[in-house]
Amino acid sequence: MTVKLRVWRQTGPGQPGRMVDYVAHNVHPDMSFLEMLDVVNEDLIRKGEDPIAFDSDCREGICGSCGLVIDGIPHGPDKGATTCQVHMRRFTNSETITIEPFRARAFPVLKDLVVDRTAFDRIIAAGGYVSVNVGGAPDANSLPIAKDVADQAMDSAQCIGCGACVAACKNAAAHLFTSAKITHLGLLPQGEAERSRRVIRMVAQMDGEGFGSCSNEGECEAVCPKEIPISNIARMNRDFLRALIR
Amino acid sequence: MIPQKALSSSIGSKFLIALTGLSLVLFLVAHLAGNLLFIAGPDAFNHYSHSLISNPLVYGAEAGLLALFVLHIVKTVWMFAANRTARPERYAVRKWARKKNPSSRKTVASTTMILTGSITLLFVITHLVTFKFGPYYETAEGIRDLYRLQLAVFSDPTYVGFYLFCMAVIFFHLWHGISSAAQSFGIDSPHWTPRIIWTARLVTALLAAGFGLLPVFTFALSVN
Ligand code: HEM
Ligand code: FES
Repeated sequence: MTVKLRVWRQTGPGQPGRMVDYVAHNVHPDMSFLEMLDVVNEDLIRKGEDPIAFDSDCREGICGSCGLVIDGIPHGPDKGATTCQVHMRRFTNSETITIEPFRARAFPVLKDLVVDRTAFDRIIAAGGYVSVNVGGAPDANSLPIAKDVADQAMDSAQCIGCGACVAACKNAAAHLFTSAKITHLGLLPQGEAERSRRVIRMVAQMDGEGFGSCSNEGECEAVCPKEIPISNIARMNRDFLRALIR
Repeated sequence: MIPQKALSSSIGSKFLIALTGLSLVLFLVAHLAGNLLFIAGPDAFNHYSHSLISNPLVYGAEAGLLALFVLHIVKTVWMFAANRTARPERYAVRKWARKKNPSSRKTVASTTMILTGSITLLFVITHLVTFKFGPYYETAEGIRDLYRLQLAVFSDPTYVGFYLFCMAVIFFHLWHGISSAAQSFGIDSPHWTPRIIWTARLVTALLAAGFGLLPVFTFALSVN
């Protein structure tokens, strides 16, 4: 199949960018979306042009490196999938596909489709850890944790920090990411001790990075490749308000 | 943490917006209940309104309402501006994510909150000028005849239309607003959240229908 691409090109941070049209020939329907871009890039390199920069690593949906806005939706058309898990069979022959980077003030574009997501690292550094000494791994049954609590912590821990939640939010808010971290740490006994301090510090860092506020629309949940629900955000709100009156 | 700083954080701001918004909703419920006395006739309506405006406590209540309103507006407008700067560069193509995953709660209502809120503000000003600071009619007993004022105002079909439009706008604001406030407070559970959303929408529909009924009813009376 053949697809037409409209791709955001930008030479470097702070530089003006624009949409550039390309045609991708010889695209196999079973190619992944990123493989299709690889093929386009090989073509560009052969012609002596600058290849399209985009992030990827594992290409199996677990590392959180990839992230493109495909036809106006972060990570493209598939529910619960990352960009690297999208296949070309989801598109029709000679269709035009628009590809843009995740857009947020806190995620400045470095080049083309690559954005700087270190703001997430700084949110984690502000409190997304357990610093109390909890000793060695305890005997399995010495620290009872209810199954549903363990499941919920595990579900939240699935967050791969890709930033699609920010990209989808009309306010470029990072509430889903931050709340997923707060939930997965705060629900377990090891993380409980620092629960109040954690939420206050992480929220302060999140606000300071220039992310927006939450309008409770849930677009983040809808694009999250790990389908992390906004009930995490409600929990973060609860934890935050609780921490204030303590 | 200093509470003042906490209340200007993204979560604290939404807490205040939700608190003031829901308080205004409670006011709307009380306001509607009182207004429905219009249907009971001039005596019931005028005695009720007289007991309100002759009570010295009403000044405190009015000041409280004004404070709620001002806080809600200051916080939402400020937050709206901050949210715009959080995404300086727009997307060339933008689609709602509910197309790929229906879990999203995004609606026309949720995307137009600042617009419906602003129209509500204009409406409230017009509403106060028309009624509270409107013509002063007196009944034979010597109390303010608001029944007559309401009859006069809604004998004009254009005014009835304008009111119905404004009630539709408030309907949109609260369609998203009431359940959103629950989420801002952190009230959520797999069992309750769907029920909260539908109850909130039901309350919204009842409020809008109740407030919409009065101008129509009054117009019908004035025609007879
Ligand atoms: C009778 C008057 C009003 C009532 C009952 C009301 C009620 C509410 C409620 C319950 C919320 C939800 C809070 C939350 O999401 O946590 C809300 C949100 C909002 N209100 Fe109002 N409101 C009123 C007037 C206004 C006015 C005059 C404005 C602005 C000029 C306004 C602007 C907004 C905005 C922008 C939001 C959305 C905040 C967000 O994006 O999360 N409202 N309102
Ligand atoms: S490349 Fe690792 S998640 Fe897509």
